[in-house]
Amino acid sequence: MEQRYLTIALGKGRLASQAMELFEQIGVTCEEMKDKRTRKLIFVNEESKLRFFLSKGPDVPTYVEYGAADIGIVGRDTILEEGRNIYEVLDLGFGKCRMCICGPESARELLAHHELIRVATKYPQIAKDYFYNKKHQTVEIIKLNGSIELAPIVGLSEVICDIVETGSTLRENGLLVLEEVCPLSARMVVNQVSMKMEHERITHMIRGLKEAVWQNSQKG
Amino acid sequence: MQRELLHTPEGVRDIYHEEYEKKLILQDRLNGLLRRYGYHPIQTPTFEFFDIFGREIGTTPSRDLYKFFDKEGNTLVLRPDLTPSIARCVTKYFDEEDLPVRLCYMGNTFINNSRYQGRLKETTQLGAELIGDPSVDADAEIISMVVACLKAAGLKEFQISVGHAGFFRGLTEAAGLTAEQEEELRNLLSNKNFFGVEEFVETLPLEENLRRLFQMPGRLYASAAEWQEMKECAAAYPQILDALEELELLLALLKAYDVSRYVSFEPGMISSYHYYTGIIFSGYTYGSGEPIVKGGRYDRLLSYFGRDAAALGFAFVIDQLMAALARQQIAIPVTYETLLLVYQAAYRTEAIRKARRMREHGRHVELLLWDAARTKEDYAAYAKKHHIAEVEFMAEG
Repeated sequence: MEQRYLTIALGKGRLASQAMELFEQIGVTCEEMKDKRTRKLIFVNEESKLRFFLSKGPDVPTYVEYGAADIGIVGRDTILEEGRNIYEVLDLGFGKCRMCICGPESARELLAHHELIRVATKYPQIAKDYFYNKKHQTVEIIKLNGSIELAPIVGLSEVICDIVETGSTLRENGLLVLEEVCPLSARMVVNQVSMKMEHERITHMIRGLKEAVWQNSQKG
Repeated sequence: MQRELLHTPEGVRDIYHEEYEKKLILQDRLNGLLRRYGYHPIQTPTFEFFDIFGREIGTTPSRDLYKFFDKEGNTLVLRPDLTPSIARCVTKYFDEEDLPVRLCYMGNTFINNSRYQGRLKETTQLGAELIGDPSVDADAEIISMVVACLKAAGLKEFQISVGHAGFFRGLTEAAGLTAEQEEELRNLLSNKNFFGVEEFVETLPLEENLRRLFQMPGRLYASAAEWQEMKECAAAYPQILDALEELELLLALLKAYDVSRYVSFEPGMISSYHYYTGIIFSGYTYGSGEPIVKGGRYDRLLSYFGRDAAALGFAFVIDQLMAALARQQIAIPVTYETLLLVYQAAYRTEAIRKARRMREHGRHVELLLWDAARTKEDYAAYAKKHHIAEVEFMAEG
């Protein structure tokens, strides 16, 4: 029987290039994708019957849930925020950062009680889950689309819920990490049906990637 | 035309013409098949009291249910699936019956899930329930019916994945996991994150055989040697051993049904439905991003209604099955046999008599009074557009 294409969705940006490096380590390459001038949306590796495409991070779980992509590479923040019905099979070990509640030192007091406070974030689901189900604090969530750090500075909210990598943006703006919500990193996600129907190929790929991730971690 | 009146709400739609013909054919095929296994059709109400689909029994979170009130203030729910209704019915009407009851159903179900854009909120489910038979034979019958249904639908490539709820329960009990640890393991397993499971298990102080059992949930088993190995590991854990032995016997019976090549075993399969106690299964095929059939044994469900009885069943979502068939380009052949009888006013009586006679003989006849402004070609074009097989004119000349 003719082999089907396995379709892999990659979140645009640094995540995608790091993921491709990892794929190269296990002998999966896609020359087409390296051409920076290309206008193509989808890239094919005929030899191993693979297709790659780039999409906005938050769309990756959607493509995978509906089976439009068999496999996706995406940050855990997106997976948690989208809450899609997909398998999260492997921690790829790169793109490590933390989801944190940040604000000025003066806001620390507000998190200790069950006071109603305002939280600005790009991740309303994650923020809601953290405050309602873990802290049991009622909050008002304000969804923003970028430069979240501005919110407490200009008085839009008391705290923010955002990704922290080095914390330098926070420090420069007089904010600090008040609480950690969860650690984050890039993950491999798989469609439920693909996991069954293409079990061998996908499991083989997961094993290879796991091995590569382990080797990279040994290198430090 | 009142354009704004023509819309249907998001998540519901009209199904008509060829698509509906196909849906009816598919439903007939599947219904016919279930009847051939001795299942009796049953119809339950479209809406019931909230408690029927409530927390412990339910498969759908409360906020995804369509809820409304009756005049007494009771909360009513549009059914999200039919299994709880069937369980209620069985408890009510077949309470005296000690021998098995076989029921099959088809009906529309409603899930108010706004998150899923592009997903239907009203779908047709078709399924069967076998009540009062705790044997593995019953398990085998149900799975072989699922396979037969998928084949009858025209699918060639599909997989039924079978697990056992006792395996996971046995593992957590044998390892003495806390509720939190169990939740973590459940999360890892339901995400098929088997490396995560390995790492998690490494942190536990476990006996070697149990450790090996923990590595098994994700694998798909086929060979006799592998079964043997698993059973040896499970020798000291009766609950796990029972689950494995049940699955092994099931495999033997599925071979007798000649359907074992469509079935793979995944002992540690987990279902989000709380009421499953024995086997759990899902069916997968290309062209549908989610399982097209789900089912299992839920011996505890009936006890919510005050009766202890074994039960198992499955449900198909017909609309998903249709989508998978379309995407795999598998045709459902529709035969068109309608005759269009176009008559001039002078031939009225004759035309009506002819149509009556033909209908009595089972022909499909459409009658149409000839509009003087139209030509034979107009009617031929009309017939073509509406899949009418034949046109006959009763007119002068």
